[in-house]
Amino acid sequence: MRKIISLILLGIVCVGIIFALYSIPFGKDKIKVGKHYIYNGIKETGAVNIVTSVVLNYRGFDTLGEVTILFIAALGLGVVLYGKKKKRKEGLEPASLVLYTGCRFLFPLILLFGAYIFIHGHLTPGGGFQGGAIIASGFLLSYLGCPRKWISKERFNITESLGGLVFVIMGLIGLTIGGYFLSNFLPKGIANTLFSAGIIPILYCAVGFKVGAELAGIIYNMIE
Amino acid sequence: MLSPVLLIAIPLGFSFLAPLLKKGAKYIPPIAMLFNLILSILLVPQVMRKPIIVLLGGGWPPPFCINLVASPLGILLALLISLVGFLVSIYAIAYIKEGATEKYHTLYLLLLTGATGIVLTGDIFNLFVFFEILCISSYALVAYNGDKHGLESAVKYLIQGSIGSSFILIGIALLYGLFGTLNMADIANNISYHSLQSPTLYVALAFFITGFGVEGAIFPLNAWLPDAHSSAPSTISAILSGIAIKTGVYAIARVTYTLFSAKGFMIFIATIGIITLLIGEMSALGQKKDIKRMLAYSSIGQIGLIIFAFGIATYYGIFGALFQLVNHALAKSLLFLASGYMIYRVGSKELSAFEGLGKKMPLSSLVFTIGAFSLIGLPPFAGFMSKISIISAGIKANNTALFVFVIIVLFATIIEGCYFFRVVQNLYFKKSRDPAHNCVRDGCPTTQKSEMPISALIPIIILALLIVAIGIYPRLVTGIIESAAIGLMDKVGYIHQILGIF
Repeated sequence: MRKIISLILLGIVCVGIIFALYSIPFGKDKIKVGKHYIYNGIKETGAVNIVTSVVLNYRGFDTLGEVTILFIAALGLGVVLYGKKKKRKEGLEPASLVLYTGCRFLFPLILLFGAYIFIHGHLTPGGGFQGGAIIASGFLLSYLGCPRKWISKERFNITESLGGLVFVIMGLIGLTIGGYFLSNFLPKGIANTLFSAGIIPILYCAVGFKVGAELAGIIYNMIE
Repeated sequence: MLSPVLLIAIPLGFSFLAPLLKKGAKYIPPIAMLFNLILSILLVPQVMRKPIIVLLGGGWPPPFCINLVASPLGILLALLISLVGFLVSIYAIAYIKEGATEKYHTLYLLLLTGATGIVLTGDIFNLFVFFEILCISSYALVAYNGDKHGLESAVKYLIQGSIGSSFILIGIALLYGLFGTLNMADIANNISYHSLQSPTLYVALAFFITGFGVEGAIFPLNAWLPDAHSSAPSTISAILSGIAIKTGVYAIARVTYTLFSAKGFMIFIATIGIITLLIGEMSALGQKKDIKRMLAYSSIGQIGLIIFAFGIATYYGIFGALFQLVNHALAKSLLFLASGYMIYRVGSKELSAFEGLGKKMPLSSLVFTIGAFSLIGLPPFAGFMSKISIISAGIKANNTALFVFVIIVLFATIIEGCYFFRVVQNLYFKKSRDPAHNCVRDGCPTTQKSEMPISALIPIIILALLIVAIGIYPRLVTGIIESAAIGLMDKVGYIHQILGIF
């Protein structure tokens, strides 16, 4: 009986939502904020990648919040797992030669690729979050493949704190120079070149380092 | 330059700094919150004249970038958050000894940053982001004790909170799909000028109320609260009860009053509030074992009262709601903090273990009593003033349903009195049940006073003094609450202030 009642209720909710979705003009040319970003984005921010200009300039404050959420998730995992560390098994079987060599060969390349993604975040698709995730995947590979070469958790903590601090401090400098928190106080440069778009590349580097360190730290915590 | 954005940026920067400091991390939250407290006090006169609109990002006019709105309401709540946050963080210096302490202090500061962001932002998606900051840090902090109960209730809270957050996100997506903007003033403008009656708006409103209702612990969505509040460390229970659930209530009020001018909808809000009030108070009365669970259920009841007062939908109703919100934040954090060390000393959360504690911990028992009396609404404490303003607002509204609700509120107050008097009776009028009370004269270990450490005593005494001061001289806070209530009613003014500046 209870199941039938809940099914009926769910059905009513479904019908309501379907009605609601019908009347929304999704995908039509009505999105006024979006239009503004598309037509004025490059001129106003200097970033060729419009997604980046939205993420780090128009809605940069949200990005700061999102970076913070990831930071909290990493910290929270540390709190929950605190004191639950079991001793790592001493007799970890060493990886085979092929895997070991492959890891050592690929690890710097993956880091380089990740760094490329976030440094060019204002020019090409991708950015700090994506680049950071790629870097963390490099660390995952090295944890699985060459367990001897573990990097201490301490360094991840320092990197993620510094990444966050750089973001906030850039925002505060923007407040004092430009009058708005996170305002783009550096010259915008010539579009399509690496040194353009003012503070956006700096912010994306900070985000990239931070996200990479956080995800790698989460992986480290989970493996431990 | 005194910009309200510093209220968010400085604590955020400090919380990134805190993990680097290891031992010194415990001094970071008091410093950051003291800064916030001073800054928000300095901003009060300026904000009372005219709300400050802060543009962020490139400084493009709204709705093209995120903006903060330092209205009287926002600053009032930011002031409350920083005051309670500051006092609780001082208490935590001595109270939090075990576990990953630097992580605790970082997460604690981030929780308060999230709450400050929620009350100051003028952008619906930004509100969601800060809401996530608040929620995720509180999930982690509930599990801080690391025992089985803590983990279980944190997971419960996590699941319900995540569902609530997804509901909010869906609501935001519906509004963005309809209007193509995320700025709250712009959305409100679109809703009121187009006077759209499409079902989508109601669906979006339902999503918002359900989503924020989980954090605000309104009736059918409050299952996480008693577990989470009772198994968290007492400092975190104080903050969750004093600050975190208030932000859910604030968000509901903001959405219903500013975003949707849902006038006809308000009686529904009032009904939900009354049901929450009754359920919360009845459950609190039924809790004879665990004092923290009792306080947690009492929080649900008080939230119901605040939501009911918002649902009256007159100026007096909102005034009463905000006043009650401030008083409850002060009194409930006081109660949780006072009971924190009492539980620590007697080694049990059971009510019966508190018998005779009035002699052993005279000051803590006294402030506990003050907090309890203020919550019941006895004069001359602060709770009396706010409860009487809610009741008179309900009567002034000239509505039969609301009149019946006011009677229920009075009835709920009696229930509240029952269970709080039970605790007070245990504290003062019952002899200690310790085995040592048989021993004859001096040298008994139980007769010596075992007060809290001084760093824990100072914050709760300040809270108690504030409660008495507001009770005796309400003008201390009513000025800013009045302009906050006017600001919340004045939807047109809100839209003009934000969209009219370019």
